[in-house]
Amino acid sequence: MSGVQDVRQRNKGKGINRDASGPSSAVDYDDHNVAYLPSRSYIESFLNTEEASAAVVAILTIIAFFTRFYKINHPDQVVFDEVHFGKFASYYIRREYYFDVHPPLAKLLFGLAGWFVGYDGHFDFENIGDSYTENHVPYVGLRALPAILGSLTVPIVYAIMKECGYSTIIAAFSAIIILFDNAHVAQSRLILLDATLIFFLSLTMYSYVRFKKLRYQEFSPQWWGWLLATGTFMACTWASKVNGILTVVAVGVAVLIDLWDILDYKKGHSMQYFWKHFIARAAGLIALPLVIYLSVFWVHLAILSNTGPGDAFMSPSFQETLRGNELLMKSHEIRYYDTVTIKHKDTQVYLHSHPERYPLKYDDGRISSQGQQVTGYGHEDSNNQWQIIPTKALPETGRGRIVRHEDVIQLLHVNTGTVLMTHDVASPLMATNEEFTTWPKDDHSRYNDTLFHLRLSDAAPGEAWKSKSGHFRLIHVPTKVAMWSHPTQLPDWAFKQQEINGNKNANEKGAVWYVNEIVDSQDPDLKAKLEEVEMKEPKRLNFFKKFGELQLLMLQHNAGLTASHPYASGPINWPFLLSGISFWTQNEGQKQIYLIGNIIGWWASVGGICIYIGILGADLLARRRGLEPIPDDVRNRLWNSTGFFIIVWAVHYFPFYLMSRQLFIHHYLPSHVASALVAGSVLSFVLSETINTPVSAWGPSVKPRPTTYADHGVKAPVMVAVFAIAMFSLYLFISPLTYGTPGLTGEQVNARRLLSSWTLHFAAKESGNI
Amino acid sequence: MKPADVALNFGTPSGSPRTSSDFEELNYPHHHTATSNSPTGSLGWTAVPRREEELPLPHYMSEDTARRRVPRAPAVDGGETFVAQDEKHPMDYDVYDDGGKDVYAKMKAARGPVGSGRLRRPPAPPPTTVGELIQQNLEHIPPIIYTLLACWTRFHKIGKSGNVIWDEAHFGKFGSHYLKREFYFDVHPPLGKMLVGLAGLLSGYDGSFDFKSGEAYPEHVPYTAMRVIMATFGVAMVPLGWYTAVELGMSWRACHLVALMVLFDVAWLCISRFILLDSMLLFFTFTTVFCLSKFHNQQYHSFSFDWWMWLAMTGISIGCVTSVKWVGLFVTALVGLYTIEDLWDKFGDLKMPVRDQIRHWGARIGCLIVLPILVYMASFKLHFLILNHSGPGDAQMSSLFQANLVGNDFASNPLDVAFGSKVTLKNMGWGGGLLHSHVQTYPVGSNQQQVTCYHYKDENNDWYITPRWGEPEPDAEGPIRFLQDGDVIRLRHAATTRNLHSHPIPAPVTKLNHEVSCYGNLTIGDEHDYWVVEVVDDIKRGKKNNVDKIHSLTTRLRFRHQVLGCYLRAANAILPQWGFKQVEVSCEKENNPGDVHTYWNVESHWNDRLPRGNTKFYRSPFLRDFWHLNVAMMTSNNALIPDPDKEDILASKPLDWPFLRLGLRMCGWGDNQTKYYLLGTPVIWWAGTTSLVVSLLVLAVYLIRMQRRYADMEPREWDHFIYVGKIAFFGWFLHYFPFMIMGRVTYVHHYLPTLYFSVLMFAHLVDHFVLTSKRFSEKTKWIVFGALSFTIFACFWWFRGLAFGMDGPINEHWGLRWRRSWNIYND
Repeated sequence: MSGVQDVRQRNKGKGINRDASGPSSAVDYDDHNVAYLPSRSYIESFLNTEEASAAVVAILTIIAFFTRFYKINHPDQVVFDEVHFGKFASYYIRREYYFDVHPPLAKLLFGLAGWFVGYDGHFDFENIGDSYTENHVPYVGLRALPAILGSLTVPIVYAIMKECGYSTIIAAFSAIIILFDNAHVAQSRLILLDATLIFFLSLTMYSYVRFKKLRYQEFSPQWWGWLLATGTFMACTWASKVNGILTVVAVGVAVLIDLWDILDYKKGHSMQYFWKHFIARAAGLIALPLVIYLSVFWVHLAILSNTGPGDAFMSPSFQETLRGNELLMKSHEIRYYDTVTIKHKDTQVYLHSHPERYPLKYDDGRISSQGQQVTGYGHEDSNNQWQIIPTKALPETGRGRIVRHEDVIQLLHVNTGTVLMTHDVASPLMATNEEFTTWPKDDHSRYNDTLFHLRLSDAAPGEAWKSKSGHFRLIHVPTKVAMWSHPTQLPDWAFKQQEINGNKNANEKGAVWYVNEIVDSQDPDLKAKLEEVEMKEPKRLNFFKKFGELQLLMLQHNAGLTASHPYASGPINWPFLLSGISFWTQNEGQKQIYLIGNIIGWWASVGGICIYIGILGADLLARRRGLEPIPDDVRNRLWNSTGFFIIVWAVHYFPFYLMSRQLFIHHYLPSHVASALVAGSVLSFVLSETINTPVSAWGPSVKPRPTTYADHGVKAPVMVAVFAIAMFSLYLFISPLTYGTPGLTGEQVNARRLLSSWTLHFAAKESGNI
Repeated sequence: MKPADVALNFGTPSGSPRTSSDFEELNYPHHHTATSNSPTGSLGWTAVPRREEELPLPHYMSEDTARRRVPRAPAVDGGETFVAQDEKHPMDYDVYDDGGKDVYAKMKAARGPVGSGRLRRPPAPPPTTVGELIQQNLEHIPPIIYTLLACWTRFHKIGKSGNVIWDEAHFGKFGSHYLKREFYFDVHPPLGKMLVGLAGLLSGYDGSFDFKSGEAYPEHVPYTAMRVIMATFGVAMVPLGWYTAVELGMSWRACHLVALMVLFDVAWLCISRFILLDSMLLFFTFTTVFCLSKFHNQQYHSFSFDWWMWLAMTGISIGCVTSVKWVGLFVTALVGLYTIEDLWDKFGDLKMPVRDQIRHWGARIGCLIVLPILVYMASFKLHFLILNHSGPGDAQMSSLFQANLVGNDFASNPLDVAFGSKVTLKNMGWGGGLLHSHVQTYPVGSNQQQVTCYHYKDENNDWYITPRWGEPEPDAEGPIRFLQDGDVIRLRHAATTRNLHSHPIPAPVTKLNHEVSCYGNLTIGDEHDYWVVEVVDDIKRGKKNNVDKIHSLTTRLRFRHQVLGCYLRAANAILPQWGFKQVEVSCEKENNPGDVHTYWNVESHWNDRLPRGNTKFYRSPFLRDFWHLNVAMMTSNNALIPDPDKEDILASKPLDWPFLRLGLRMCGWGDNQTKYYLLGTPVIWWAGTTSLVVSLLVLAVYLIRMQRRYADMEPREWDHFIYVGKIAFFGWFLHYFPFMIMGRVTYVHHYLPTLYFSVLMFAHLVDHFVLTSKRFSEKTKWIVFGALSFTIFACFWWFRGLAFGMDGPINEHWGLRWRRSWNIYND
């Protein structure tokens, strides 16, 4: 082990030998004069020249583009979530309103890319496996966008490491983990949001590092520049995908730690100085990102000005701002004695009744009232028609006949001449809810049970009830239950129609209804109005109101994505790459795309994190016992620089444990980038006793410090080269799963099933088909 | 039938009120018949609840030291906190010199460095006169008065409602099982329920009542006496609260506040007055915190007798609280965090010899890990010893365990299993159940008949061992064909005649395994019904080579699907509601010979042609039973997830608790019933929660000021502020947060242990800002203290009916609904 001994020997003298005498050399941490250092090995000195660094990054970038673009036209079919994001691009081009849980930036970029390559938005991306070529979709142009961003992530990762003061070879190591990672490649080649997210995330980290390095030159133009850049890219990350909010949190945590240090009395700063810093960060990292985030939504809403599939998610007042929206076109005030059809908002079934009665006894032994059935029915039918009967005196004509918020009404089923009622009898399927039935209109013995309170959503007192836009709850006057429905079918005796019952909790989501259509009206004006179809100008609504509504809906729906998915996986599986996602399969030729990472890179990353925690833990314990095994500057580098990567990793990872929505391994990719950075700095720590310092720009308040260099010797390039070859070989080996080509035989699939938990298709017989 | 007869009574379920049993009991299909209980045996045991903590210890400080938290040299504005009886002490003594220049000065050598917690005082000299004795023990007078008051609140009209209230339906029933000594199964550990049994025994109850929810107690059930015994634990909470506050070093007024809040919280009062586990859970939670604070005050007297005693008491207390309900693990975690911090400090003490370091570690491991585990296991040992008769919970346990229960007929089963035998098959994995099938079908996958693992005995667990298709059915006259290793069999479900079947369709939960279903009938079937019997070994005869014929109970078997090569397995994966939350059975593709979840044994065995066996069974080892039962409890606990299709008006979400958004109707709400409503005293709950938020803000402000070098407090004050704050905050957090991420259904009473810590936090903050502050005059302190005490009392008095029981129509009790979300009135 004389080699190691030598290295340590050489390191010893270095700090003393190279006393930096002036600011200029302190600024250049990886400068050329390093090359002439007698104590550094030739290879290492050479690698750390700017030319060599540029060459390395150029090679990495070229390979990145090659890996991301190789056979990007295969498969020429809709793959996995392209179903969603491709569709959204079409909607932007067609300018039709859609709704999605993710913020719009990344999707806007897809729209832009589509427009750029001349796509007209005609294709609907209905199912996984639909052919692009048959439908003449310029999908390569769409896929090129994430592929470009995904490729550029590689040099950015390299640059982050370089800016943090690591040697070329270490920076290359981190970049290679991303470069030859099958998961990143697979995710970047398809019309998915993650490449954009990761690209902006790495830019955010890069800007923040640059900003932090200028901390001794505070409030200089460069300082402001990088601060604002951090804010901008952070906002872009956030606006790309909903989990980009975690990036905001990560930067927030780092900034708080930073501010806490500035606050420290020992630093000798005044409070005024602190507030200046505080306000600068508030402006750059809160105000600016908010403006950008809002602007993205503004653009989103400005583009999507036509009615589209997302209408139904929004409130009526929002819908009326969309051109051609049904509410805008067909919403009319409702008058007493109008005959209407009523639809359930959530499940889109009509309020329906027919002469058949509830059976006396249900399967579970409970007993009904044997009243006429009231059900939810999905199709148009004359049994869906109800007439609105007043319970107060009406004027002969005029606006007094309009039905208003908080009115008490009766609903008359036109075909059977019975009125809607509910009473204290358990509903067929839910013993806790009341049964809905009807009662002959001339029999007044149960008059009170047929009274319903009309409660419009978000209505002012006395507001008129309108068809389409007037969402309402129907509250039973004597028992206070709300007419409610849920997607559960009644048995055969009700022709498998949907159950409607009275729910005690009137605030339930399923208690909202609306009038779909005014079938017949006593009012001649309205009759005329119903006939004519004119093009109305959309109404206007304040942007902030629209934004607020949309944002709230996004959050609600995101939390509501709890349905189980066969390829969903828990966060604990992710760092160890225990399972992947089947994106696409084709029986012909046994081709498949399976999202799985390069196991060497992932395990190296997670190993790096474990070693880091181990090092710091051991250091803490040792310090507790009065020993200082790690020199201060090396320790500071580990805490501050690597600590930042760890924060990014942890903040992008641990919150998923608290989420109950369905989770996939691609949610780990941002954390994986951070863990690659951690792995690089840990490798540097392991290989060298010293670090490159100083890396921060010199400032007037700082005393010049000696320059030191990390010395990895020859073993570093050798190790990284071996690692790169191993990564590349494994990458090639798994690549048929990543690129979906060439097809594999069962035995080949089995060979690629490196962990037994990977659920690949077309596996050979002995393990059975999944 | 007229509609009126089938009316659903929404507001007032006067008939049988729902209890949480709708959730807490395991679901199973309606057609299953329950096993009957046969009352047998009597009870004999020796467990005595510990009471040491309540006994005042002779060297307790006199009252003055309790309020000496921040005594400073001459009080600035006459705001000195000392009262009459410490005229012995000169006013100018200093906090770091708490011995003072008094008669005790000679004992000073015993004093260690001053830290957080109660200030130490040397033991008093032996009293020479009665006057001195009284003088020395004056400090115990307030807790005695509070205890007497607690007796009144806890016992007042305790037998007013003669009906089974709420979960008395469970815990009373479990108590009966102890008296009848019948084995039952429940998700909670046994200590609390054994104490219920003991209460029954002491009050002369014979265990014959089955505690139907809402039913009136018959003459012979001494429910009042039982409730009184349970309520005694609730009484003990009050002095414990007082002494804990004393040990935490709070001023005397703050101690009064803590005691008043514990005394006057309606929820704690209400829950203590019935035959429930909560009073015991609360009691042991309180003792744990008390012992911990007591131990903390011994920190500079390591390895002294007191130090060892309180460390050991903390351990025992942890063991007890965990043996009542698993919720006790949260307070255990608090002690764990405290210990880790303590050891971390010790680890940094470079002057401490390594030998002492090791002793410190050893003491913690011994007293806080080993001792609680021993207590926990001892409670199970006692549980098994008492319940030595067959009962409703049998099927949860291994076959060998059941065979040793009195009244079990396994011993007379035929020994050798043959073709044509009717058997039940028991999974041998931890917590395993019986192979089961019922007419309901899978709604996913093949849509064939479900096969599950079930933990209760019924005839749907019975299977016939039949030969392959085409082979002759076992001939009733011909030679008996015994089952042997390697035989290929069909398993025919006795009740539905379908055959156990597997096919390459993913199982419903464990998607990577094949689904197992029941398919066909007596004549229809295919080769997918074939299972190869593989003998693993025999518990009695040892290795596989010694096993010629397969014996019931002792032979461990595996079933390999002949076509697919997969193994029949049941590993505690719970099916959704459509499978009645029973355990999934699947066929595992990988062959793991060591996986006990693929091991099965024949449990019951019927075959008329074979001689009845008469075997002496091997005892099932205790550790095995212990572990088996704990896994089963865990599995059932995980199955208690809220059913989205069933609205439970009793359940609440953790977010509803801190600000008391919801209460809980504990019984039927009819006009002629005595009604109890579980709801805290609002001011206590609101103040506690607010103080937690305030504590975080205050901490942030102090930290920022420290970062700027403002010295707000002396080091000891700061230590004290942080120490009590940490106990209160982490105690609260650890008892609250886990419920947020827990999947199981939660009720408002889960917050009751948590409440204690918010009460401590409130008293601590009032103490910090007012009662020990130098800024306020004595008069102000009196006013604040008086106002707080009065508010707490007045609020309790206003709501006392909720716990003492309300008669008549509920809507006539005016002014109880302070929040609209409380469903206290019928509307």
